[in-house]
Formats: sequence, structure tokens, C-alpha cells
Amino acid sequence: MATPTTTPTPLKKPGSSKRRRREALAFYLFISPWIIGFLVFLLGPMIASVYYSLTDWDSFTPPKWVGLDNYTKLLTDDPAFWKALWNTFYYAAISVPLGLILGLWLANLLNKQVRARKLFRTLIYLPTLVPLVATAMIFKMVLAPSGPVNDFLGVFGIDGPSWLIDGPWVKPALILMSVWGAGSATVLLLAAMKGIPRELYEAAEVDGAGATRQFWSITLPHLTPIIFFNLIMGLIGAFQVFSQVYILTPKSNRGAYDAAQTMVPLLFDQAFGFYHMGYASAISWLLFAVILVFTALAFRTARRWVFYETEVK
Amino acid sequence: MAGLLTAAPPDADTAPAPKRKRKLTDRQEKSAVRAFRATPVTYGTLLIVAAILSTPLVFVGSIALSSDATVNANTFTIIPREFHWENFTRVFGTELPMGTFLLNSVLISLFSVVGQVLSSGLVGYAFARLRAPGKNAIFLVVIATMMIPTQITMIPQFILFRDLGWVNTYLPLIVPNFFSNAFNVFLVRQFVSRLPSQLDEAAMMDGLGFFGIYRRIMFPMLRPVLIAIGIFTLTHTWGDFMGPLIYLNDESKMPLALGVQYITSTSAAMQAPPWNLVMVGSILLAVPMIVVYYIGQKYLYEMDISGGSAGVK
Repeated sequence: MATPTTTPTPLKKPGSSKRRRREALAFYLFISPWIIGFLVFLLGPMIASVYYSLTDWDSFTPPKWVGLDNYTKLLTDDPAFWKALWNTFYYAAISVPLGLILGLWLANLLNKQVRARKLFRTLIYLPTLVPLVATAMIFKMVLAPSGPVNDFLGVFGIDGPSWLIDGPWVKPALILMSVWGAGSATVLLLAAMKGIPRELYEAAEVDGAGATRQFWSITLPHLTPIIFFNLIMGLIGAFQVFSQVYILTPKSNRGAYDAAQTMVPLLFDQAFGFYHMGYASAISWLLFAVILVFTALAFRTARRWVFYETEVK
Repeated sequence: MAGLLTAAPPDADTAPAPKRKRKLTDRQEKSAVRAFRATPVTYGTLLIVAAILSTPLVFVGSIALSSDATVNANTFTIIPREFHWENFTRVFGTELPMGTFLLNSVLISLFSVVGQVLSSGLVGYAFARLRAPGKNAIFLVVIATMMIPTQITMIPQFILFRDLGWVNTYLPLIVPNFFSNAFNVFLVRQFVSRLPSQLDEAAMMDGLGFFGIYRRIMFPMLRPVLIAIGIFTLTHTWGDFMGPLIYLNDESKMPLALGVQYITSTSAAMQAPPWNLVMVGSILLAVPMIVVYYIGQKYLYEMDISGGSAGVK
């Protein structure tokens, strides 16, 4: 990322200072949409959010200052919060690595000399083009007690569960849906695989390395930067999962049994269901903290396993 | 997680040019290297994966073509047995306001795309070309804002828009787009940095002002990146569920993504939702995205963002 230098050159002819002032003025005028947007839709709301999180507020009557009470209550006296946090971890910890492994496996298959490669690629990528809401509606049908998944299990004599209603099966159902979209990771990984110099494989071939060995020793190390990128984006996305949970699971199942309640739907229910605006604001900051911790952890371990070529392609 | 439109799958016809002239020998070499050899196992696995991934989509088609009787009896099959094509026209009749949903989606998406394209282009150009004190520091802030999860600002923004009397209007969904998005600004800036600066200098000699240069010279040249931004924004707003869920109450104002879900959640207690019509809605939701992707993928290539920055949104 080359940053063009902006230091004004002192060698310019006199009189250019007026021009420079005009240029600076033009700059601020040009970026004013961003500045206004930043102040009105980001910085202002962020400050407000910190304040709200320290109050008890239903958004209709004046806020009541409670200090750190919301945070204390969330961390020490709200089983629903811990349950949601645990569910979110569970979902992220399984769906992100699973999606990556599947993506990697599929990309490796598509990277071979396969006929009708374009058709296979399209079929694998198609699910990621379907908007999340439509996907959720589809899975509501696919995972219905008498839907195709259970029909398929029935072939093997397995009596399928009520995926979206039985507590222990709701999270696997959500993970199943996320895996269906593994194609988005496949695409990036495949693009990166194409960039690996072919000579390396030829050399390995001469040395007698088989296909499996070539994958572990050449393909995988070269892909670590893109795997890392997918890991970070996947983690952030998984912690913010909302639409799937909201659409797939009945509200009673999210709230009462807490089987599928995750962080953002919890925040949403608190804010727009119960009008606990202060409490919900505190949840949003804890969510931010959790995401920060996990991204930081990923970055820390990255040094050990992410391999960067000196030549940046 | 917003619409994660990643870089397009690399196709043979768009692969990097330099490698191409080796194509003839490539084929022979490839088959010699074990990692690229496609075995019957490769084909078998790909066929199974493709079948599993397309099953939900085929099932959607089958449900969409089912009769009301099939819906009520809940006797869907994966492979369609009946073909009630009139379901596709029924949703636009008096039964369901799907036409209104669709129109709302088009309106919201159209204005959002226009807003992002206009504002991000202007701001990104200024960061790439114009010199002003404090520019680098401001750009750092732009980059930093990408890390703040939207949940933090969700509640204060809701309060702001409610106080403005904008709840149950399209404004909260459209207006923020006119203030540019950090990721889009970054894309434009990177793109402009690679264009020769002689262009602007020549235009300046001809007496054009900064805005004239942008409008006459730069704006047309930014076509690929602006189209890509348009695609990202469209994907995001078209599939957005949480925004409309927060701000829109009237059924007549809902976009398709919310409307489709709304229909299933408001059916009378003992009555099954009109799944056949709901799935028609899901198809209407998915088809434009697939079309946009196929038309738009060449611009995503031209933009040349495949190196890791793609997919962030």
C-alpha cells in the first residue's frame, strides 16, 4: 500500500501558495461527505452509545445514570448473556474452521485438470450469491421435520431430529447452513492457488513427492496468508451472526430455552423488543471487546503459521 | 456480516495473460504433475458435492411450483412433480404484495447505489490526488473506522432517526449511503493512485478546476471501480434484513428481503405459510444477484482487487 507523499514541495514557484490553499480547500470540500458521515453516523453515535451503556433507559423517558451497573449485571447476573456468548463461540468455533477446511478441500479439487470445471465452480459458488434471507427461508424448509434432510437420513433408518426446534440440534442446523456457503472461501482460495508457481510442483515431482505431499508442502504453506484473511473475516462475521438465527429459530426457542440465542439477536431483542436501550448498548460494547480479543489472538498466533513470500504478488 | 461479495472465481478466459502463451505445453506438464491430475475419485467427489449444494436450490424450485393443496398437506418433493407456473404471477396479484416489496427493494437499492457511487468516488479521489494538511492523519481515521462493528452505532442511530421522524420511511436506509463508506473510499483511492497524474495536470493546464477535473476526466475513468462499488452496495442493500427490520413497520413499505420473511411469520396460527409463494419470493430475491454477478464479474476483475482486500465489506 503505497501512500503518496503529501508534503508540499518548497521548491515551487512563489505564488503557488495560493494554489495550494485552493487545493487544500478543494480537498476538504471533496471529503466533506465523509467528514459529515463520520461525525453524524459514527463518532456521535459512538459517544452516545458509551453514555447510553451507563444508563437505564427505555428510550421514551429521560435516561437514568447507573454507572457500570449494566456491565456488572451482564457479566455477573445474566445467564442469558453467558448463554448467548457460549452459543456464539460454539457457532464460530465450528463453522469458521469447518468452512475453511471445506473451502480448501473444494478449491484443491477444482484446481485439478477437471472437465466441466466451470460448471462445478458455478454450482459451488451459487449458494453464496443467494441473499441470506432467502437462504434462511430455504433452510427452514430443507430442515423441516419432514424435509429433505430428514428424508435422506430416513433412507439409512435414522429418525432425524426437529432441527430448528430441538435445543441441541439448533446450533448444528445453523452451522450446516453456514457450510452451504463455503463457496465464498473456495473462490478466494482457488484464486490464490492459481498464483502458486507451477515450477515448484514440477520440482517436487522430480523429487518424487506425491499429490498429498505436494498439497501439504507446497499448496498449503503458500495459502496461509489468504487462509488467515478468511479466518479473520469469518470470525468477525460469525460473531455478528443475526439474520439466520432470527429467521430460523422461533423466538421462544431463542429466548426461553436459549438454545440458539447469539450475541447480536440478544442485543436486538433487548433493544427493540424490550426497549432496554442502555443494557443493549452495553452488550454492543462487550461484543466489540470479544471481537477485538479474538482478532488480536488470531494475529498473535499468525506469526507462527502464516508464511509470507518476500515477493508480494 | 454484510453481503460478502468476494472476488469472482478465476476463469480460464480471464486468467493472467502472461501464463497463457504456455498453454499448449501447460496441458502436458499439468498431467505430469500429480497434484493436478484428476482421478475418478476427484470427479466422484465433485459430483457429490455439487449435488448436495444444488439440492436446496432444486427444492426451492419444486416448492415454488407446488399447488396450494401440496403446501397445506406438506407433501413437497425435491424433484418437482407439478408445475404451477401461475404461482409466479400470483405473487403480483391481490394475494401478496410481492410487487410492492420488489419495487421497494429496487427504490432503496437504487438510491443507495447512487449515494455510494457519488460520494465514495469524490472522497476517494480527493484522498488519492489532492494535497492538504492533515490528509494522512484523516486517512488513518478512515481506515480505523472499518474496524468498528455496526452494532455499536445501531441504537444511537435508531434514536437519531426516530427523533428526526424518519422511522417507517426509507430515509434511514438510504441517506447514510450518501456519506461514503470507508471501504469504498479505500478502493477508489487505490484505483486513482494507479492512474497517471499527467491526466489531471493536462486538464489543469486547460483551465479546469478541481471539480471539473473530477467530473470530466476522473469520473469516467473510475468506471470499473465505481461499478464494483455499485455491485457491493447493491448486494448489501438488496439482501439487507436487519436495517429494514429496525426501521420499517408498514408491510407496504417493506423490501423483498424483509417482506418474504414477514409473510411467513404473520400467517394465521393454525395455517401453514404459503410456502410456494414464499419460495417464489426467495427466487425473486436471488435471481437479480445472480444476474448482477454474471454481468458484473468482469468489472471486478478490471478493478484488480483480488489480492486479499476483496471481500471486506
